[in-house]
Amino acid sequence: MAALRSTSSVLLGAAASRPALRFAAGAASVAARRGMAQLADGATHNTTASGENANLKTFQIYRWNPDQPSEKPKMQAYTLDLNKTGPMVLDALIRIKNEIDPTLTFRRSCREGICGSCAMNINGTNTLACLCRIPAEDKAEMKIYPLPHTYVVKDLVPDLTQFYKQYKSIKPYLQRDTPSPDGKEYRQTKADRKKLDGLYECILCACCSTSCPSYWWNSEEYLGPAILLQSYRWLVDSRDEKTLQRQDALNNSMSLYRCHTILNCTRTCPKGLNPGLAIQQIKKQMAF
Amino acid sequence: MASIARSSLLRQVAAKPTNSLIANAARATAFHTTARRDILPPLPQKVKGTVNDAAPVPPPSPSHGSYHWTFDRLVAASLIPITVAPFAAGSLNPTMDAILGATILIHSHTGFQNIIVDYVPQYRTPRARKIFTWGLNAATVVVGIALYEYETNDVGITETIKRVWAA
Amino acid sequence: MFAQRAGTTALRRVAGQPSTIFASNFARALTTTQARAVATQKISAEEARAVLDKQRLNRPVSPHLDIYDKQQTWFGGSIWQRFTGAGLSGGLYVFATAYLAAPYLGWHLESASLVSAFAALPVALKGAVKFVAAWPFAFHALNGVRHLAFDLGYFFSRQQIVKTGWYIWGASFVGGLYLAFFL
Repeated sequence: MAALRSTSSVLLGAAASRPALRFAAGAASVAARRGMAQLADGATHNTTASGENANLKTFQIYRWNPDQPSEKPKMQAYTLDLNKTGPMVLDALIRIKNEIDPTLTFRRSCREGICGSCAMNINGTNTLACLCRIPAEDKAEMKIYPLPHTYVVKDLVPDLTQFYKQYKSIKPYLQRDTPSPDGKEYRQTKADRKKLDGLYECILCACCSTSCPSYWWNSEEYLGPAILLQSYRWLVDSRDEKTLQRQDALNNSMSLYRCHTILNCTRTCPKGLNPGLAIQQIKKQMAF
Repeated sequence: MASIARSSLLRQVAAKPTNSLIANAARATAFHTTARRDILPPLPQKVKGTVNDAAPVPPPSPSHGSYHWTFDRLVAASLIPITVAPFAAGSLNPTMDAILGATILIHSHTGFQNIIVDYVPQYRTPRARKIFTWGLNAATVVVGIALYEYETNDVGITETIKRVWAA
Repeated sequence: MFAQRAGTTALRRVAGQPSTIFASNFARALTTTQARAVATQKISAEEARAVLDKQRLNRPVSPHLDIYDKQQTWFGGSIWQRFTGAGLSGGLYVFATAYLAAPYLGWHLESASLVSAFAALPVALKGAVKFVAAWPFAFHALNGVRHLAFDLGYFFSRQQIVKTGWYIWGASFVGGLYLAFFL
């Protein structure tokens, strides 16, 4: 498995033209090559808990393998010495994958909260593993699950197909018919631009949508907080001319109005945005 | 798409090496929290169309959307003074009492409607949805008649609560 | 995601149609690292989709209510708004229907008999019954005001959401007790 991965990533390294890809490939192949060598290391460290001042922490992680579909999902425990681990949950996950169990699967990319890949449920709330500090002071086990009420591809990797299809359905791009007066660019006042603050920062990590009970039960038809925040981002954009059509698309019992201001979305957003408020603004816009 | 193709390729190549070290290092515990007792357990995943097709957009219907929402809020907001007034005023006023009864009835009806729309999905259980919706409509009519009877033949909502509370 | 996809195409290209340029790159890569003969097969887009559809049917749904922060799910103001509202309205619906049916079933649900029946209860039970009616009412009324404030755009910051949520719990118990025992 590890050997195969290193081959494919080396191939990737040869084929990749973009620097971002090359970086990812390099990291992966290093990890893979190291994986086998350090496995014994990680295991002994894990069982004997060496050192007097080892700061051990146990991580309970949701596991499910698509290659054994008849096996039920289970929780698996991994113990790490926090003194040898980085401060964030993602650091711990990467260390587990590198040193203890290379089969652990999760998405990650930027490790700085800008790509949204490592969204998962950590200790009961959805957040980005790379922005979530490991609470070092308390000894309690950390529980890590995939995003709630999503179909699991493997371990911590959820299938977000429906989420992206819904994003596409709100037409997340500028729609206008009139050309700009100077023929160059569509200008906007500073006040109008300010309205987009707190909206454009959304990275579509799906933390908020998968924290919403309404979205759990009705993700087939209800758009969910993230997509509605994105929708509002285009509804308030002074340059967009299809505001009425956009509102019509939301004006039914399911798409928007399954929001009952539960506000788990606002409480969970790892970027500190306010999807609940954005939805309230849409409702207010459409109220009369 | 990519991930699935890859995993099938991988599977053909390599039977996973069983590594006793991995087994030792990681304690596995059974996972108990899959919701077995759900009334409507989630269906197996099926994706309509390809991954690149947008989710369908329903036709606009403000009477189930924005008008409904606004009406709901107005009824809810009006309930605050209507509920407080008869007790605060302390006088028995049949008109106020009738308005209170009617507003509560509307508020209850839309509340139950919301519950049905949330938990009895149209796309999945259309028949149950129909039964619940019309059951609720019938119940509301029955309760409306009952409240009318109670207001006309008995002492009314406010007065009943007052007397029971004082009993 | 990107890395994954690129890896797949790389694999597939090696297996399927080795272009000369790619092959030379591949050979260069081989000199520095290990390589395995990879047995792969080329599949069409439809076949790939069929494989994916089949795998999707096996996928479990990740846990939700059981593992999500209890304070936000089980003690959330929103769901208790629904519980209390459904309880109060359900009570009204049951009572009203019973009142309509009472003459035919020989029940006595007129206000006079209700009051006398309630007066006959022991004091503690009276208080308990009153509280069971008064607390949901207090909660639904107070939290209803909070929700109307939400609808007007107030209290949307994270701290305010958490704080007002707890205030409602406290205030509804105080209000329920007041309505039940001091009125």
